[in-house]
Amino acid sequence: MSPVLAFLGRRLLGAFVALFVASIVIFAALNILPGDPASVILGRNATPQAHAVLTKRMQLDRPATTRYVDWLTGFVHGDLGVSAVSLAQGQHDTVWQQISGPLKNSAILAAIAAFFMIPLSIGLGVIGPIYPGKPIDHAISVLSLGAIALPEFVTGSLLIGVFFVALDWLPPVAIVPPGGNPLDNPSQLVLPVLTLLFASLAAGVRMVRAGMTEVLQTEYVQTARLNGVAERRVLSRYALRNALAPSVQVLAQNLQWLIGGIIITESVFAYPGIGTTLVNAVQNRDVTVVQSVAMLIAVVYVVLNLLADLVVMLLVPKLREPV
Amino acid sequence: MTDRQDLDRPPGNDILDGRFSRGGLLRGAAALGIGMSPLLAAACGGGSSSSTAASSSVGAPRRGGQLKLGFVGGGTAETVDPFIGVTPIDEGRIQNLYDPMVIVNPDLTTSPGLALEWNPNSDATVYEVKLRDGVTFHNGKSFGADDVIYSIQQMSKPANFGSYPFVSGIDVANMKAINKHLVRIPLKAPDGDLAANFTYYNTWMIPAGTTDFKHPIGTGPFAFESFTPGQQSVFKKNPNYWQTGKPYVDSLMITSITDPTARLNALLAGTIDGMAQLPFQEAKAHQATGDINVLVAPSPQAMMFYMDTQKAPFSDNRVRQAFRLIADRPALVEGAISGFGTVGNDTVGKGLPYYDTSLPQRVQDIDKAKSLLKAAGQSNLKVEFQTSDIFPGFVESATLFAQQAKAAGVTVNLKQEPANSYYNPSLLYLKMAFAETQWPMLSLKYFYLQALSTGAPYNETHFKSAAFNTALANAIGELDKTKAQDYWNQVQQIQYDQGGYLQWTNADWVDAVSKKVQGLKPHAAGALGNYLFMDAWLSA
Repeated sequence: MSPVLAFLGRRLLGAFVALFVASIVIFAALNILPGDPASVILGRNATPQAHAVLTKRMQLDRPATTRYVDWLTGFVHGDLGVSAVSLAQGQHDTVWQQISGPLKNSAILAAIAAFFMIPLSIGLGVIGPIYPGKPIDHAISVLSLGAIALPEFVTGSLLIGVFFVALDWLPPVAIVPPGGNPLDNPSQLVLPVLTLLFASLAAGVRMVRAGMTEVLQTEYVQTARLNGVAERRVLSRYALRNALAPSVQVLAQNLQWLIGGIIITESVFAYPGIGTTLVNAVQNRDVTVVQSVAMLIAVVYVVLNLLADLVVMLLVPKLREPV
Repeated sequence: MTDRQDLDRPPGNDILDGRFSRGGLLRGAAALGIGMSPLLAAACGGGSSSSTAASSSVGAPRRGGQLKLGFVGGGTAETVDPFIGVTPIDEGRIQNLYDPMVIVNPDLTTSPGLALEWNPNSDATVYEVKLRDGVTFHNGKSFGADDVIYSIQQMSKPANFGSYPFVSGIDVANMKAINKHLVRIPLKAPDGDLAANFTYYNTWMIPAGTTDFKHPIGTGPFAFESFTPGQQSVFKKNPNYWQTGKPYVDSLMITSITDPTARLNALLAGTIDGMAQLPFQEAKAHQATGDINVLVAPSPQAMMFYMDTQKAPFSDNRVRQAFRLIADRPALVEGAISGFGTVGNDTVGKGLPYYDTSLPQRVQDIDKAKSLLKAAGQSNLKVEFQTSDIFPGFVESATLFAQQAKAAGVTVNLKQEPANSYYNPSLLYLKMAFAETQWPMLSLKYFYLQALSTGAPYNETHFKSAAFNTALANAIGELDKTKAQDYWNQVQQIQYDQGGYLQWTNADWVDAVSKKVQGLKPHAAGALGNYLFMDAWLSA
C-alpha cells in the first residue's frame, strides 16, 4: 500500500474514533448538566403536573442509553432530531429547520474571514523574517501579540468604538432577516469580519514568522544563496514551502479558533448565526439542539485537521516516501 | 378590576389624550426598565410597570412606516402561543396579535376589552360575561362566546403553564354560551373579582378551533405575517381593528437581540427604533446626553429578599422583623438599581387595587433590630444569603445588605448561585432559607395565591397561617369593595407583621426609543409603554 493511503487510512480511523468519543462526551455532559429542559422552560411555572407533561412530550422519560443510540443513529443518517423545546411546546420543529438558516449565516461569515485570514497570515508572517529587526517586523510582532491578548468581545467593542461611535462609518450590528442573505448588506459584515480576523490572525502570523526565521537560517537556504539563486526564488521555492509545513497545522487550528470566536462575535454584533443559536439552546437546555450542533462542530474540527494533514503531505515530499 | 358600569369606549383614547394619571401610587423617579436576562424573564413571566412617554407628540399622529423593536431574545423557545409565553419578547408579540378581555390602563385601573361587563350572582360563584360586539379576528371570523369558551378550555390544560393558574378556579366543563355575546362562567369557589384574572397576556383570546400557532389568528391591532423564533417577527397592521384608527404604523418588526450593548448599538445606529430593558448605567448616561428617549415606568414589580419562615433562625419572627429593620431601603434602591425604583414596604402591589396604603413605611432602625435579635437569642447571628446574577440588582442589593447588617452585629455571608439553578425547583428554588426574588405584579390575588396561601406553588417563604388563609379566602370571595378592602388589609397586615418577605423596591421598567418614535406613554403594567405599539407612530 502506498504510504499516502496508509497514512490517510490511519488518520480516518483516528477521526472516527475521536468523533465517537466526542459523541459520548457530549451526550453525557448534557445529561449531567444541572436543570432539565422541562424545568427551564417552565421556570417559575414548574408545577409537578406541568413538568410531567413536558417531560413526556420531550421523551425524556426514556432511558439515557436508548436516547443516545437513537440520537447517534439519526445523526449518522443526517437526521439531527427534533428540538426538545419545540416538543415541550407541543410542536415538532426539527433541529435542522432551526439551525439551517443560522448555519448558513455563520458559514458565510467564517468563509469571508478565512478568505482573508490565510493569505494575510502567510503574508504578514513572511515579511518579518525578510526584514528582521526592522520597524515593520516590530510593528507586526507587537500588533499580533496585542491581538492575541484581546478576547473577541473586547476587540469587537473597540472596533465599534472607533468605526461607529467615533467615526460613524460602519454599522455596529449585523442583523439579517430570517431567510435573508447577509451579503445583501455587506457593510454590516465589515466589523464582525475584522473582529474575527484580529483574534485568529495573530497566532498564524507568529507561527509563520517563527517557521520562516528558522528555515532562513538552515544550511540549504544558505547554500542556495551562495549558489547565486535569486533571493525571490530562495524565499518562495526553498524557504516558504518548508516553513509552511508546520504552519499548516496552526492555520487549521486558527480556522477552528475562528469557529469558537464566531460564537462570541455573533453575540457582540447580534448576528443571527449558529453561535447565537447554540448559546440560546444552552440557556433553554434544548438538549437535542446542543447535542447536534456540538457534534457538527466536532465534525468540522476533525475534517479541518484531516485536510491540514493532507496539505502537509502535499507540501513536504519527504512524507510521501516509504519510511 | 373591571366594573360593570364600564362603558363601551375604547380605553386607548385615554392614553392618546394623555389624560391618564399615575396618581400618588407611582410617585418616584422616572427610571428605565429593569433589564432581565432571558432566562430570568422567562422564569418570571412579564411584569407590570408604567412607562414614561419618551416623546411629546407634536401634532396629529403620522401614519405609515415600520416600527422596529429589539428585545432580549429567548432563542427557539420564543412563542406566539399566548398560553405558554413567558418572556418580555413573547409578551410584546402576544399583546399585539391578540386582545384581552380586560384592558389595564397606564395607572393600573382597568377598562373593558373584549368583555364589556362581568355580572356575578349574589355569592360570586357564577359570572355572566357580556362580550363586545363587532370585533373580528384577522381571518374575518367574528368574535363571540364560543371563542371565549374555547380559549378558557385551552388555558385550563396543565401543559399551558402560563395560563393555567389564572383559570384553575373556573368550572370549565360547565361554561355555557347563553347567546353569541353572553357567556356563563361558573366557579369552583367564590371570586369577587374574576375580571382581574383576565388582564394578563397569558389569558388573551384566540379563535375557537385553533390547534397550533404556526399562523396565529387574533383580534389584535397587528396581524401575523412571519415569525422565526430566536430571530425576528413581522406583523402587519390590522385594518379592521375595533379600536378605530389604530394602529398608526403599517407594520411591526420585533427582533431578538440578547446582548444589551448590541441592542443599544442597534438603537443608536437606527437599525431599530426602540429597545426593551436598557441597562441602568446606560440609562443614566443617555438621560444626560438626550440622544435617545429613555422611557422610565414606575411599576409595582417587586424585588425582594425572602426568609424561609420554617427554617431557623428565620422561623423566629423577631429575626425576620429585625432583618426588615436592618435594611436601608433608599440606599438599596440607589446603590443596587441606580435609583430606578421606589422603596418597598414588605407588602407587594403598590398601586394595584386593594393595596393597603395605611401601613407605615418601614425604615432602617438598627437599635430596634439589635434588641429584637437579642430577645431572640441571636446576637452575633451568622447567616448565609444565596444570591444570583439572574436579575440586575440582585447581587448588588445582597452585597449592600450584607454591609448594612454589620451595624446590627449580623454577619451575612454571600453565596452566588448559578442563574440557571436559582429558579429551578429541582435544584435550588424553594429550598433556600435566605435568598432573593422578583415578582411581576398583576393583582394582589395573583401574588398571594401563587406565593403565600397554603399549598401555593411558589411559596418561597413557606408561610403557613390558618388566619391568613381565611382572610385571603374572604378577600378574594367578597363582592362588596369596602368589605373586600377590609379583608385585604387584614391579609397585608399579617404579612407586614409576620411575613418572610423583605421587599426593598418596586422597580421601574427602563426602556429606550429613538427620537422619531411618538405616542408610547408611561405604563405601570409593562415595558415599552406596556407594548401598546398600536399607539406608536413615527415622526418624519
